[in-house]
Amino acid sequence: MATRTKDIRTDTEELLTEAKAPSQQPLTVPTDKPVAYPLDLPEGEARLRTPAVGQRASRPDGRLHGLGQTQYIDDITFPHMLHAKILRSEYPHAKILSIDTSEAEKMPGVLATLTGDEIPENSFGPTFQDQPVLAYPIVRHRGDGVAAVAAVTEQQATDALEKIKVEYEPLPHVFDPLEALEDDSPKVHGDTNIYTSKTIKKGDVEKALKESEHVFHRQFRTQMVEHVPLEPHASIASWDGNGRVTLWTSLGRITLGREDLARTLKMPQSKIRLIGTVVGGNFGGKNEITNEPILALLSKKAARPVKSVFTRGDEFISSTIRHPFTMDYTTGVDSDGKILARKIRLVLDGGAYCSWTGTTIGKGSILAPGPYNIDNILVEAFAVYTNKTTTGAMRGFGAPQVCFAYESQMDDIADALGIDPLEIRLRNGFSENSLSPTSQTLQSVALKESLTQAAERFGWKEWQE
Amino acid sequence: MLVEINVNGEPKSADVPPETTLLKMLREDLGLTGAKLGCDVGDCGTCTVIVDGVSVNSCLMMAARANGSNVTTIEGLANANELHPLQEKFEEHGALQCGFCGPGMLISAKSLLDRNPEPTVFEVRDALAGNLCRCTGYTKIIEAVMDAGREMRSGQSGA
Repeated sequence: MATRTKDIRTDTEELLTEAKAPSQQPLTVPTDKPVAYPLDLPEGEARLRTPAVGQRASRPDGRLHGLGQTQYIDDITFPHMLHAKILRSEYPHAKILSIDTSEAEKMPGVLATLTGDEIPENSFGPTFQDQPVLAYPIVRHRGDGVAAVAAVTEQQATDALEKIKVEYEPLPHVFDPLEALEDDSPKVHGDTNIYTSKTIKKGDVEKALKESEHVFHRQFRTQMVEHVPLEPHASIASWDGNGRVTLWTSLGRITLGREDLARTLKMPQSKIRLIGTVVGGNFGGKNEITNEPILALLSKKAARPVKSVFTRGDEFISSTIRHPFTMDYTTGVDSDGKILARKIRLVLDGGAYCSWTGTTIGKGSILAPGPYNIDNILVEAFAVYTNKTTTGAMRGFGAPQVCFAYESQMDDIADALGIDPLEIRLRNGFSENSLSPTSQTLQSVALKESLTQAAERFGWKEWQE
Repeated sequence: MLVEINVNGEPKSADVPPETTLLKMLREDLGLTGAKLGCDVGDCGTCTVIVDGVSVNSCLMMAARANGSNVTTIEGLANANELHPLQEKFEEHGALQCGFCGPGMLISAKSLLDRNPEPTVFEVRDALAGNLCRCTGYTKIIEAVMDAGREMRSGQSGA
């Protein structure tokens, strides 16, 4: 198959030990020894015209990072600061019959406790305000917080959590998104689990499928993915004598966060100050508030600054994750592998609360047919509630999931028709002035040039032999 | 409970509850916030420090266990006038993005180069296997460590 005569291990080692910026390397392919991929190709015009492109620039934060002096939220302390911990739900779906924090309040070092019924406006969310700050009276997934405690030390706060007595009445739960679509499935909110949907139509997909030489159908599923930023979510809340609250937080969208805080605390925005500092990784998971309102209220009660940092366990169950997609793709092609029609159904596992699903379903739907010229398209997408971790923003917003589906199917089609996988993409791919699935005219399209150059650079032809 | 350790060449002590980890003691009692808390269970490596010449996950070591030991943290890599070659090369290569894995990576790399001055790429990967990074994909980190090793070897004669 491959014509490489050199061991890939030695190749890599050589490349790494002689690593230089591409623009500094000679532009010839060595002929006196076996070829090492990736190759360097002649500089493109764009790179020659814009000298900044392709040049080395040193990151301004590199120095402090290396010294270990970069200040993340957890590195900040204030005098008399308390630590808060949050009690998570025991059930994926349940009614809270009672919460008793009296034993916890008596524990050494505990200065304040908080439950959902004490939140002035217990709902927030970027699209629908369906998410509680602390769940009350219904918990909708295991990651829902039900109570919080602020104490002098973290250990004291953790110990006090164990003393909080919560009585639950478990409710039927639904985990599978396809099950959640059904009329008779347990309902997470209201009387249907479908909380948003999107349809994209172009041409006549049924007619074109009938006229296709070959029709391919497959279902693709993607899994839950957690961002795992190395820095867990962290915030500190502190009030001043004029009734203003300041929050230092790992939150990315601080203007949206301030709106959410104004809403949940029922305070004017002018009295809320949000300081977003250096963050240890976000990737979309720190795009909305988590425990900021809780800390603000605990701090108010205790009259001291309060800090809370998610545990790694909290990160997995209580912070947002990427939407798992179930994707049904039906594609009609002619005998040359040209796509004539594509019919897609997307079911987004929307978790317990809406969060950034609105954006995800939009992006996912528009990108679902792939970067290919297709005249007849139907995309029907649904987002459903399930009693699982809230699905939110994560780099790609729906694009990676559909990319997995349409590219896998492209390979299936290429394989079945005996066409080179690169060739079939060049036959179908967008060019300048192609129409997107929503009939937008696309410009500055470099898809085929990129594919061809990349193929040359990585020795695609040679690999095929 | 009094715990006494020598950190970056200076004797330090703190009175801590017995359940305190070395990580917590460094960060909260000694104000050395370079080592990070990423998972608290020894999976991510952001808490890596060197104790008596061995790199350890300080979140898994009780402070009391480190009593009487020599501890090196990220704060001890540079001296007043110069960066450690690792810190120089990390900066030059743009090896870090959010930087959270940085202190742990640098300490693990230092520990490697101290015992193996001429590692192969695969030995570097192996030594850094316990330090997770979510931003960079590790490539530039490895390049920087190889480069720092070269720098340290070339500066060694007569040092």
